[in-house]
Amino acid sequence: MRKYWLIGGLASLLALTAALAFSQGGLQEVPAGDNEAESEYPSGQPIAFPHDQHAGGQPGQNNMDCQYCHYSAERSVDAGIPSVSSCWGCHQVVPGGNAPEEVAKIQGYVQRGEPIPWVRIYKVSDHVHFPHMRHLNAGLECQLCHGEVQEVQVLNRRDPVWGGDNMGWCVECHRQPDDTGKPQASTDCTVCHY
Amino acid sequence: MAENKSMRDGIKRRDFLKVLGVSGAGATLTGCSTEKVERLLPYVVAPDDITPGVSTWYTTVCDGCSAQCGMWVRTREGRAIKVEGNPNHPVSEGGLCAKGHATLQHLYHPDRFSGPMIREGGELQQVTWEAAESLLAARLGSTARAMLISGRMGPSLDALVDEFVEAIGGVRVGYDAVSDAPLAEAVRIAYGTAGLPRYDLENARYLLSFGNDFIETGSSPVAHNKGLARMSSVDAVGSKGRFVYLGPRLSLTGLNADKWIPIRPGSEAAVALAMAAVIAGDDSAAAGPYSNVLQAYTPQAAAQVSGVTEDAIFELAESFAAEAPSLALGPGVGAHHRGATAANIAVMILNHVAGNVGRTVFYDAAVNAATSSYADMEAAISAMGSGQVEVVMIHGANPAYSMPPQAGFTEAFAQVPFKVSFASAEDETSAMADLILPDRHFLEAWGDSSPLAGVTSIQQPVMQPVPHFESKQTGDVLLAVANRLSGEAVGATFYEYLRGRHQSTYDEVDGDFEDAWRELLRIGVADTRREGSDAPELQPSDVALSFGVPTLDAPGDLTLLVYPSPRFGAGEFSNSPWLQELPDPVSKIVWHSWLEMNPDTAETRGIREGDIVTVRSPHGSLEVPVWLYPGIREDVVALAMGGGHTAMGRYADGKGVNALTLIPSASEQPSGVLVTTATSVTVTATGEHRRLASIEGSSDQHDRLIAPAVALADLGRAGGDVHEEDTHGELKELQGVGGFVPVPAEEGAPTAFPLEGSRHGIYADAHEGPRWAMAIDLDKCTGCSACVTACQAENNVPWVGEAQILMGRDMNWVRIERFYEQVDATQAGDLDVRFLPMICQHCGNAPCETVCPVFATYHTPEGLNAQVYNRCVGTRYCANNCPYKVRVFNWYRYTDEIPEPLNWQWNPDVTVRDNGVMEKCSFCVQRIREVENRAALEGGREVRDHEVVPACEQSCPAEAIVFGNIRDPSTRVSQISSSERTYRVLEDLNTQPAVNYLKKVTFHEVAAGVHE
Repeated sequence: MRKYWLIGGLASLLALTAALAFSQGGLQEVPAGDNEAESEYPSGQPIAFPHDQHAGGQPGQNNMDCQYCHYSAERSVDAGIPSVSSCWGCHQVVPGGNAPEEVAKIQGYVQRGEPIPWVRIYKVSDHVHFPHMRHLNAGLECQLCHGEVQEVQVLNRRDPVWGGDNMGWCVECHRQPDDTGKPQASTDCTVCHY
Repeated sequence: MAENKSMRDGIKRRDFLKVLGVSGAGATLTGCSTEKVERLLPYVVAPDDITPGVSTWYTTVCDGCSAQCGMWVRTREGRAIKVEGNPNHPVSEGGLCAKGHATLQHLYHPDRFSGPMIREGGELQQVTWEAAESLLAARLGSTARAMLISGRMGPSLDALVDEFVEAIGGVRVGYDAVSDAPLAEAVRIAYGTAGLPRYDLENARYLLSFGNDFIETGSSPVAHNKGLARMSSVDAVGSKGRFVYLGPRLSLTGLNADKWIPIRPGSEAAVALAMAAVIAGDDSAAAGPYSNVLQAYTPQAAAQVSGVTEDAIFELAESFAAEAPSLALGPGVGAHHRGATAANIAVMILNHVAGNVGRTVFYDAAVNAATSSYADMEAAISAMGSGQVEVVMIHGANPAYSMPPQAGFTEAFAQVPFKVSFASAEDETSAMADLILPDRHFLEAWGDSSPLAGVTSIQQPVMQPVPHFESKQTGDVLLAVANRLSGEAVGATFYEYLRGRHQSTYDEVDGDFEDAWRELLRIGVADTRREGSDAPELQPSDVALSFGVPTLDAPGDLTLLVYPSPRFGAGEFSNSPWLQELPDPVSKIVWHSWLEMNPDTAETRGIREGDIVTVRSPHGSLEVPVWLYPGIREDVVALAMGGGHTAMGRYADGKGVNALTLIPSASEQPSGVLVTTATSVTVTATGEHRRLASIEGSSDQHDRLIAPAVALADLGRAGGDVHEEDTHGELKELQGVGGFVPVPAEEGAPTAFPLEGSRHGIYADAHEGPRWAMAIDLDKCTGCSACVTACQAENNVPWVGEAQILMGRDMNWVRIERFYEQVDATQAGDLDVRFLPMICQHCGNAPCETVCPVFATYHTPEGLNAQVYNRCVGTRYCANNCPYKVRVFNWYRYTDEIPEPLNWQWNPDVTVRDNGVMEKCSFCVQRIREVENRAALEGGREVRDHEVVPACEQSCPAEAIVFGNIRDPSTRVSQISSSERTYRVLEDLNTQPAVNYLKKVTFHEVAAGVHE
């Protein structure tokens, strides 16, 4: 099952006006390493984005809320990824003491009006519909599925706690009894598969 | 063809496995990974009005036909993925036809022009807009002999084109391939007003159509479909309006009639005038200046020319007068013979005499549907052919296809030194052009519409232009060229021009224009109509009128009717694979043309269904397979327009035949419309035969009462026409030898639905939430098939092509069954044809579920028959065990064949199915989940009734489909399902379907389970 439709990958309005970005409107499926000079990180992330520096709670880290950047997680099926201008909103005044050369790359994308081609790490299969907002509104922490992302430096692979397409892991949680002793969430197939 | 490539793939896979089998033992596969890197591309600047994963809706106007229905367009992350009717719009009231849905495919059509092109050395070369516009300006600047041929367009563009043509000193010619000109001309002659009449179908009690196919073609199909459904369905007090169809052939509209009077083609005027004469009786001034005409037309005389009995005409006239208010509609776009204007005047006289004017028909110039004269085009052709035209610009028209070849358009057009086309996609006319300036699709462009006086809608772009195509709005091109010609900037953009026009007519006392404009865009329509009642007097005719039966070319034994297709119109929609694969509402045939012929006619000539015949007229001949149709007179054959394209694109070219090659280039007088019922033909068998690509299983119910009916007189006597002893003969036999024993029906079965708990299914049911169910009122359903295409668009249902259809592999989730009960082409009589939209019945006791070895199909606690694609292994046991034949199988990866960017239309909320997977109607489960998610976010409230609307219900112009939670007795679906007319298809199989059908109501006695 393939949905070329992007779940979180988005063409920007600015990019839409630039003909170049038009062809990148959809979710790109390209062989690893096909993208120029981005293989310096195992996953090919274009920028060594440190989740720990942004969201971590250690001294010197910024302890930001996940949803500051993943802005639609609470109201949409998609968590959303921050726009380039959103990154630049802070970084035009925060040069990034640890890795200024990485922060400088953002400026390049801003100036060229290009989206940052992040490599997607977390993905459920195309035949699975995972509504982020239902889970957040049920009081779940992001870390339950995504692991302790705020402790990870560059996100190169999924947290093993989730195990990728492991439906049993989802169902186990759905089956947990609520206050009344019933399963806390439906385990009906069509809740996720349609 | 789609299937060929898939099959090649299949062979390749097998070859690969063979190779692997030989060499696999010694080989070690290393580094082989199917892992692909997917990129997440963020916005550079996030737009305020887009939340990823949440739909954004825009209002706009459908540009598919002259009706200009209001539209809501659903966009996701900046792409239009679904169009729906705008419930606020007074024309369509939320309905949308199949063609309206298919406009979305034209937006993403791979056959659109990639950009402006100039022909150099016989080949089209892509150039910049700058170069293309300067070339046009240069050519226009050097000649005053320019012509602009245009089809229907919105008022602002129309005004701009007028200004442009005047500025360049050229001439403008209007051309619509299908036009209601005879009706407009008749209104002008008889009442002296402009435009088409406005009808109140809904409140008519007796509707008479003289070959007017108002629910499928004509000026406003969706509105008229809705009007017919409301008028002819039984109401709360058990009364319903009567619909009678007069004409040689039953169109889709005709199939919905209660009575068919199969008159000869061209005899409408005689019958209408005779009826008027009967109604007028001794009142010698009843028809004003036309009173003397009435004296010449007696039922006796009309009977002679029309071929129906005098009694039938008397009876008709009496009912028409008695069952007031009545309404008669004159010959429409499918019945333009050489006396079409006179026939429309005759019908107006009938309406006048019966007192319908100002009650059900209004001549208040309220309908703005443009009509154009074919005769103007004939003049334009002679001007082009004689070298009087230097530059021709064509917008919104394809005369090289839609005019009969006899007209000589192609030859004359070829002689014009510089030919400019504004077509956004290739067609026969733009294939000849020297300069192509591709217009935007209406979903990417600004425009406006005013279908009725006082009703204004803005057509706003719902997305950025599709990036594959460097298109530019024609209004902007004209302004840019005008700037170049005048050497000064006369206006910036068409958007400003359009907005300025609306601002200039806006009355500031109603508030700030900016607010009003924003509100207009948000709601989609501004409605300032004033109720006007008028009763104008008939005026004497200023032209000579002949009410006699018009002549045909080459008097012969079979009259040829050429009619606009309900799916393709005059051929402008032929390049849509959705519409090609939409079964024709009448014939149920897909992808090719057919000749309609009465079975008796065929039998006397030794022709069988599927025989390929040569149809020959004095003007041309073609070969086409025969489809036997009891709904056509024995002396008539019919062909639909829309087939036989040669340069329209991959889904249209070579599909079917072009009926226009058989008719002369003749215009009717005085309206100047193209005469389509013009000639007789001879039909001879070629000896060849083909199987028709039809999805029809049977037109006969075989006594199984799949679509039963109940007589109006029997309403109130519970049970209707179900006489158990008369039905299910085969079942009785089975039971006689100890076979199938159905579960005894409960007392008062129709009201006992839904049964409680697990009794209503084979699974334990402790669920307290909703139980989803549907009610379909067959008394309202007109068989228009809008739901089929709406479903295809919503659910990513692929199309498979003719070869796969011939193998019975159609993929549509909705199938409109069409059963003939009473159809008699030889005499006036009751007509009984039944439509039944068949979808997955979501059985509570589903035969498919028990046979699935992998539990891919099962029953959800909410009453859905679920199909879990990722579990399905493709045994197809379920389809074999489904008594409703609603499960379809992906024999190939059909979606692989969908070319970029057509796949941009896909609904991201629905899984695109792989090959080897079964699929079927899901009750639009993605819409249920979307609403549930929304309700959960809004404080965990309950889902409200009518909040979940499946695509079929949303689209249905007839309002026949209602979906909801049947566990709650207050919902609409519960209340409708408690009707005494409720039944479930094949319920004696104990499948306990969740789809409740309401029987059609007939005026005549219904013979239960038996028919001719």
